[in-house]
Amino acid sequence: MKLALFFLSLVVFCFDSESKKIFDAKSFELKNGLKLIVVENPRAPVVAQMIWYNFGSSVEKRGKSGLAHFMEHLMFKGTKNFPDDFFSKFLSKIGGSENAFTSYDYTAYYQIFPSKHLEKIIELEADRMKNLTLTKKNVEIEKKVILEERFQRIESDPSAQLDESMRSILFPNNYYGRPIIGWKHEIEDLSYDDIISFYKEFYSPHNAILVLSGDITFVKAKELVKRYYGSLEISKTKKNINLRDPNFKTSTNVELKNKNVKQQIWKRIYRTKSYNDSISKALALDLGLKILAGGTSSILYEEFVNKRKTFSMVGGFYQGFSKANGYVYMYAIPNTEIKGSEISKNLETFISKAIETKITEERLNLEKKKYFYDSIYGMDGILKPAEIIGEALTIGLKLKDIENWNKKLSKISLEMVIKELSEFNQNNNFVTGNLTN
Amino acid sequence: MKIFFIVLIFIFKNSFALEFDKLQTNSGISFWFVKDSSIPIVSVSFSFRGGSFMESQDKQGLSNLMTSLLDEGTRDLSAREFKKAMKINGMKLSVSSQKDKIDGSFQVISSQISEGFNLFYESLNHPRFEDKEINKVKNQIISSLKIDQSDIPTIASNLFNENFFGDHSFARNTKGTIESIKKINRNDLVNFHKKAFQKSNLIIGVSGNIGKEEIKKKIDLVFSDMENTYEIPKIKRFTSLAQGDKIHKISTPQTSVFFGHPGFERNNDNFFELRIANYILGGGGFQSRLYKNIREKRGLVYSIYTYLLSYETDGILVGGFQTRNESVNKTIKAVKREFDSMRKKGISKEEFENAKDYFNGSFTRNFTSTISIAKLLQVVQYFKLGEDYFKKREEIINNLELEKVNKIVSDIFKGNKLFFMIVGEPE
Repeated sequence: MKLALFFLSLVVFCFDSESKKIFDAKSFELKNGLKLIVVENPRAPVVAQMIWYNFGSSVEKRGKSGLAHFMEHLMFKGTKNFPDDFFSKFLSKIGGSENAFTSYDYTAYYQIFPSKHLEKIIELEADRMKNLTLTKKNVEIEKKVILEERFQRIESDPSAQLDESMRSILFPNNYYGRPIIGWKHEIEDLSYDDIISFYKEFYSPHNAILVLSGDITFVKAKELVKRYYGSLEISKTKKNINLRDPNFKTSTNVELKNKNVKQQIWKRIYRTKSYNDSISKALALDLGLKILAGGTSSILYEEFVNKRKTFSMVGGFYQGFSKANGYVYMYAIPNTEIKGSEISKNLETFISKAIETKITEERLNLEKKKYFYDSIYGMDGILKPAEIIGEALTIGLKLKDIENWNKKLSKISLEMVIKELSEFNQNNNFVTGNLTN
Repeated sequence: MKIFFIVLIFIFKNSFALEFDKLQTNSGISFWFVKDSSIPIVSVSFSFRGGSFMESQDKQGLSNLMTSLLDEGTRDLSAREFKKAMKINGMKLSVSSQKDKIDGSFQVISSQISEGFNLFYESLNHPRFEDKEINKVKNQIISSLKIDQSDIPTIASNLFNENFFGDHSFARNTKGTIESIKKINRNDLVNFHKKAFQKSNLIIGVSGNIGKEEIKKKIDLVFSDMENTYEIPKIKRFTSLAQGDKIHKISTPQTSVFFGHPGFERNNDNFFELRIANYILGGGGFQSRLYKNIREKRGLVYSIYTYLLSYETDGILVGGFQTRNESVNKTIKAVKREFDSMRKKGISKEEFENAKDYFNGSFTRNFTSTISIAKLLQVVQYFKLGEDYFKKREEIINNLELEKVNKIVSDIFKGNKLFFMIVGEPE
């Protein structure tokens, strides 16, 4: 056992070179289209299982917002072979933990558990892809829970209401404009039949990627996955059209006034390209945004927090892991109440100048280095690799793209970053929001 | 390529014993260590007894402001230079102030050990506390306090502490208040910094890719200069915990409720019995009674939970949920009913066995990253659970008796000792 671990340490150590595969993941595809990805890491006798379905709220029909998320809740309600809460109960008895989440482009379920129970957990996850036995009562009660969730996340949080409104304007055509949890009036109208037909259409092996990370071998994983997923039938899933949005000819400012609000927050969301459009362009944009607005040593932070002292915080980030467009989110928290339009003007003027004069090779190298180190930290644990791989694959990237990420990263030049930032700066597809009292 | 020491991590696959080395530095600091060469990272988890409860009432938030300034420059480096150096060396440092202690974690990429530990040393021992950075961080804390003022669950949580703990110093917000933050000056920070980082109050756990001799030197480098001159006061027991309900009206469609009940200190002989009871009541995620009876069967809430806050000298049980204004009263009633039913009817054999299995099986999840191993080593020392805890733990759990758990539940779970803080517009 000591010896085995020693070898492992040598293998992982080659990490030091940027050209090495990040996860060294192994993959396999069943005849019914289910993809298996395994990241072997025997350090502790624990496995993380994640199943990623390549659909989220994006596939909901008009008028049925919230359906994908509703379905996610109902996946915990039991099957023919394992009724009621058998799965959760079993998992908790072995000391495991679990959860699930729904996004625009994907829905994922995960468990972390002692590796000796691997087979049962694989069986249970496979089983609920096809054998759910939902009752009308399940649906009726869970709808109440989901409405409480909406009230908790959105209706009682002014800042979340502003975000919801800004997104609906930014994506007038694409499904990204609808809230994942659904509009309240549409959740209320979702029916048992809506649920059943959604389940039958989408929950299918050809829409799923199973990622196993931790104390497991590829050989064993393949054997078990064949055994439990092999016979599952492919559903007829209608192809979803990837809608794009028009370029804006107008500018939009949204304001949310609420007397409970004591601190003004300025926000802006831009519609941008995604990693699906181009990995290297998206990476260049990501690095550029990190230099410009990421964390407490960014150019914006140094200017507005340290030097001008007008904001207590300012920043932004890029989220490009999506099937259609990505987005950039920016925010500023002023020290004293300032008109939203004035914040916009000050930031715009400064950002234009900063892109021309302040994006340096030194800053770029620093961000690249941090990015590289973060990929090492990402390997210290078992859930993170499964998250990174699952998200990237469901939006349409390839495993080799992810494994060679650091190689792609090292090739991003200063010119590419400046070009992406300039394009971003000329992008008129944004919505500005102001939260105030 | 460097030659690495033989891996010394022994995580036996079928038992739960984590083997560690108990090391002592030349200057006499002792700490626990697990070598792990499977990843080029070194992770340190540290804790200083003390923290926010040592602040004076009019300067509350001092401890939090002090720890927030530790990455804002050192004697040699400006805030900007320090942050840049952290990035270059792949170093992560986070130090946070809590009611009873200051908790911190430090991580560095193996190839940058030397630079990383130097920065770690400078930051803990020679923070710059420069006026312009003090003002900047004060502004950030004030903004965050203002944001909290419109966040209903945060208002509820703060009011819960304020009312439940009564005249105990734990009633205060560790972030302070807008007024108290404004009053703090550089001198306060310098003095508190010295008081807070005393060697005798320090506990350390380390895991990662570094040799024993080297880590001993590094721990000495970072911590041996600290003083041993100030004895922190003992934290008082909670003698005046509130009971009943309190309503704070605020306009919102959904009300936030926090509730509390007396509990046990971590070292209490019956801590594990209470832990089992809490797991069954509201701690066990999708399996708890509160979850099943209030969410799953009735759909009254999205989330409902309880957890134990166990300190060195005393402890409480805390719970929370949010629900539409019209269902606040029936949800509170349902929570009270669950407390009563636990006390009167106890827990079943099946629930008891399931909970024991959970605690036995879940422990290995702590072993999946260097930082979680380091943290575990630190916490076991903090609560003085013993060097044999990793071997003993399974035995403690297997020796638990249902009758004893039920006896403790019926002794301590008292409906009239519950306190509910209600923030919103309950009908």
